[in-house]
Amino acid sequence: MKAPSIIATFMLLLLAGCAGTPFLAPRAPPQPAAPSPSPSPAVIPPTTAAAAQPSELAAPPSTAPVAPPQAAAPPIAAAPPAATLPNPSAAKAAGSTVTAAAKPPAPAAQLPKAASPTTDIAKPKTPPLDLTSLEQRLKSTNAIGVLTKLTLKNQVDDLLDKFRAYYQGKLKTTLADLRRSYDLLVQKVLALLQDSDPPLATDIVASREPIWGILSDPKKFATI
Amino acid sequence: MSIRIAGLAITLFAAVSIATSSLAADDASVKKDLFTVITLQGLPCGEVVRYTTKNDNDHVVVCKDGNRYHVYVNAQGRVVVEKQ
Repeated sequence: MKAPSIIATFMLLLLAGCAGTPFLAPRAPPQPAAPSPSPSPAVIPPTTAAAAQPSELAAPPSTAPVAPPQAAAPPIAAAPPAATLPNPSAAKAAGSTVTAAAKPPAPAAQLPKAASPTTDIAKPKTPPLDLTSLEQRLKSTNAIGVLTKLTLKNQVDDLLDKFRAYYQGKLKTTLADLRRSYDLLVQKVLALLQDSDPPLATDIVASREPIWGILSDPKKFATI
Repeated sequence: MSIRIAGLAITLFAAVSIATSSLAADDASVKKDLFTVITLQGLPCGEVVRYTTKNDNDHVVVCKDGNRYHVYVNAQGRVVVEKQ
């Protein structure tokens, strides 16, 4: 009779511990040094409309974990010293004066070598725009709720209608205004994705200009 | 016999607890979804305090700031947020 009560108490404590744990959505690990062709979040031009938006969704872009390009740079910059000084403890043992005397020519000599991979990484090939894949990923992501997805889809449709009317001459607006609306919509999507689905947010940032390229060209727009 | 009953009770309790925590997680995600929809429409809502579901994709939401909204999907497939 004692054993069940002990087990029951143990299970109760275990479950009580689980019940107190907040629900955490699975987070993707931060992308450390993946060279991203996308501009930094700070580069995203915050539109005035976005600033005026009362919505709390307009999260500050500074918190965006979307592909920090600075993260890509340090490993490259750090590479030459690592190559010149593979064993810091050995260097310490040898004495700081010796290393100070021996070191100065080495980085200068190795800089040109380090420069070539830097330029290779700095100019990544722009990935082809895959709208279908992006759409599919947006549909399947768990970072956005169903109603939110539907709302965003409505807003995308509204924007496409505006473009259509603009190109047909039915809407008196400018391409700059449409660009502002487009930026605002992209920012809304990014604000929703940046914390829960950073890879998708990164890809959307990367696709931002190519998509605008299609929208702003009447001929390309007619094909979609 | 008593051990069997105790085991059964534990199993039932565990099942109920797991179901409850799962429902709570669902509830939180619906609240988050509703809050996002309301704010995407540019309407104020500090936080969704509670909601009642009338139908599929049809909710009445009460916000922390006292605002009440009817959030539903209309026949055209558009999400509508009406202040009540």
